[in-house]
Amino acid sequence: MTYGAWLCLVAPLAATILILLGGTKLTRRAAAWIATTSVFVAFGGAVWAFLGVHAYQRPHTLTCTSFPDLCPPQRLTTAWTWLASGHFKVGLELFVDPLSTVMMLIVSGVGGLIVLYSIGYMDGDDEERRYFAYIAFFVFSMLMLVEGGNLLMLLIGWGLVGLSSYLLIGFWHERPSAVRAAKKAFVMNAFGDATMALALFVLIAHYHSLSFGVVLGGSGLSQTTANWVALGLLGGAAAKSAQIPLQTWLPDAMEGPTPVSALIHAATMVTAGVYLIARTHLIFEQARTIELIAAGTGALTLLVAGLIALVQTDIKRVIAYSTMSQIGYMFLGAGVGAYSNGMFHLMTHAFFKALLFMTAGLAIHALSGEQDIRKMRGLGKVMPFTKWCFLAGALALVGIPPFSGFFSKDSIVAATAALGTWYGWVFWLCGIAGALLTGLYTFRLWFLVFPGEPSAFVEEHHHRHGRWGEGPWTMLLPVGVLAVLATVGGWLQWSPLWHPFTNWLRYAAPTLAAAEPSSRLEYVTSAATVIAGLVGIAIAWAIYSEKRLAIPQLPAVQRALENKFYFDAAYDRLFYAPASALAVVLRREIEEPVILQGGTDLGQTALDAGGLVRRIQTGLLRTYVFFLAAGAAALVLAFLIAK
Amino acid sequence: MSGPGTTWYLVLAAFLFGIGALGVLIRRNPLIVLLSLELMLNGGNLALIAFSRHFANGTGQIFGLAVMAVAASEVCVGLGLVVAINRKKLALDVDRLSELRG
Repeated sequence: MTYGAWLCLVAPLAATILILLGGTKLTRRAAAWIATTSVFVAFGGAVWAFLGVHAYQRPHTLTCTSFPDLCPPQRLTTAWTWLASGHFKVGLELFVDPLSTVMMLIVSGVGGLIVLYSIGYMDGDDEERRYFAYIAFFVFSMLMLVEGGNLLMLLIGWGLVGLSSYLLIGFWHERPSAVRAAKKAFVMNAFGDATMALALFVLIAHYHSLSFGVVLGGSGLSQTTANWVALGLLGGAAAKSAQIPLQTWLPDAMEGPTPVSALIHAATMVTAGVYLIARTHLIFEQARTIELIAAGTGALTLLVAGLIALVQTDIKRVIAYSTMSQIGYMFLGAGVGAYSNGMFHLMTHAFFKALLFMTAGLAIHALSGEQDIRKMRGLGKVMPFTKWCFLAGALALVGIPPFSGFFSKDSIVAATAALGTWYGWVFWLCGIAGALLTGLYTFRLWFLVFPGEPSAFVEEHHHRHGRWGEGPWTMLLPVGVLAVLATVGGWLQWSPLWHPFTNWLRYAAPTLAAAEPSSRLEYVTSAATVIAGLVGIAIAWAIYSEKRLAIPQLPAVQRALENKFYFDAAYDRLFYAPASALAVVLRREIEEPVILQGGTDLGQTALDAGGLVRRIQTGLLRTYVFFLAAGAAALVLAFLIAK
Repeated sequence: MSGPGTTWYLVLAAFLFGIGALGVLIRRNPLIVLLSLELMLNGGNLALIAFSRHFANGTGQIFGLAVMAVAASEVCVGLGLVVAINRKKLALDVDRLSELRG
């Protein structure tokens, strides 16, 4: 099974290198197919690893409670020792266990579909080869993140996905807004990387090691240290997963091509924070306060993002805010200790959110790049396939049974109530309110874009693509597959009755006993979230389809929402404005008088000195000889006197 | 030891060196300057050999030979320059060859 893991990791990297070295010798088509094939090969490797773990897991029913004794379905595979400094050694190693195989399957599986979709979406773009090299590189980095066998490898993957996200957001580099968004994403992510690196330094100081076995299994951390480490890790997770207060980069990241939004900013990279919490849950459990702060962050983010999504007019931004909101759910689940529920939602979310982005991409593609939902009314008439696929994704997102979101979201909300404490119930209420908001913003999008007669804009701009009218098969096939997955993907687990997914993760990230809800609580919560979602849909229907309800006129609230609760403005005031003011002062007081003027002064002094000395250079041989002789004589005299 | 003492040799060497140096300083014809240089070198040589005899040590004589070799090559270069200057029909006057003036 370790060979599968290595194959999974290396295939996309090989594709990147091949495309980069091939350059213009490869046709655009060839580059696209190399990238796609490599990701599907990676998926094959992931399946191989999965089957390996599966075969191991079945005959062993023994439970192992502590991490360091390697439980049966775990394998650490080391290629070589990569860094060694005294007793501190870091190997180039992969860790294959139930958790990482699940992530490998999601990343390479959904990733493969999205790369296939890109073939159609990016067709005819000027720099297709560069795009496919980047996207294969992203898949490699993400796999490195999830397969990394120690925290340093994880951090390397963490940094590399940040880099490839930056490269892909700014892919259309002739657009200033895309370049700005890329920089913003990179800076925000770098902040998270830094806090995570600090946490790792603390761990090195304590354990002299970064391997999962030592660091996660150890218990020698004092409460304060454990809190700091967990906080550092949480900072990294929040930045990568766009949780408050580090969320502002994600909506702007929609400047990238739509498949990138689907792959990086919905299905895989942004959910890395949840994976990190599940992976290092033993550290977080030593710092339970911080873990609950993570849950609180998730609860807050899911409400705030859901509210902002209500007023967005750009189709991709609505889905981006919805992504933030859903990751809020995952954080909530992982934070209260129901890691497998969080991971399960991660998986179903990868299906339906990638689906939503890709159907949005089909719409954008058909309308020559238009993203404003106010102009799109009646698109369903001309694009029926897109319409039905979007509906499947939307119902999954809202959590209406039997679509996948129902199974994964409800169990998270139920787990929060299982805590039984006051904050548990607050989380529970947030979850229910979030379900209502989800129904509202998702079906606002639906009613504005798809039903009804096509608007004048749609009539004018819509043009048919490919044999089926809605796009080439490379785009339609992944959308269809994901629509099926978004529908049935959740049947894998229905927590009150059967839970193979949780069982699968029971060695890697067992659910805390405190977060195990009773069956009754599960049913009640399920009913409550579904009703909340339906109410949300009904309100959206009344407002946007039937126009029976007017949109409530609350100018102050509206303005706050349209300005995204002033987070960007606050960060401008807090960080950007002081920094640029400081820069202006430094320029005026230091750079101009000292550094710039200093250079000229130095040059002038040298020139002046040269002007003095040049008088000696007469060009007359005799004067030179005279000085020589005089010097020699002076030396002789000096020696004589000294003697 | 027969013959005059070392001091006489050294005095003669100093005279030769001084005459040479004076020649280099005040003559303007490059040929004469080269000639004066030879005088200076030979003054030095004489001192080397005198000391060699004084200390009954052969090293000074070896140095003398080395100086002669250097002098010969130096004269070669010098005379070559003089011929080159002459070919370009420039004045044979070291004071007018002042391109190094700063």
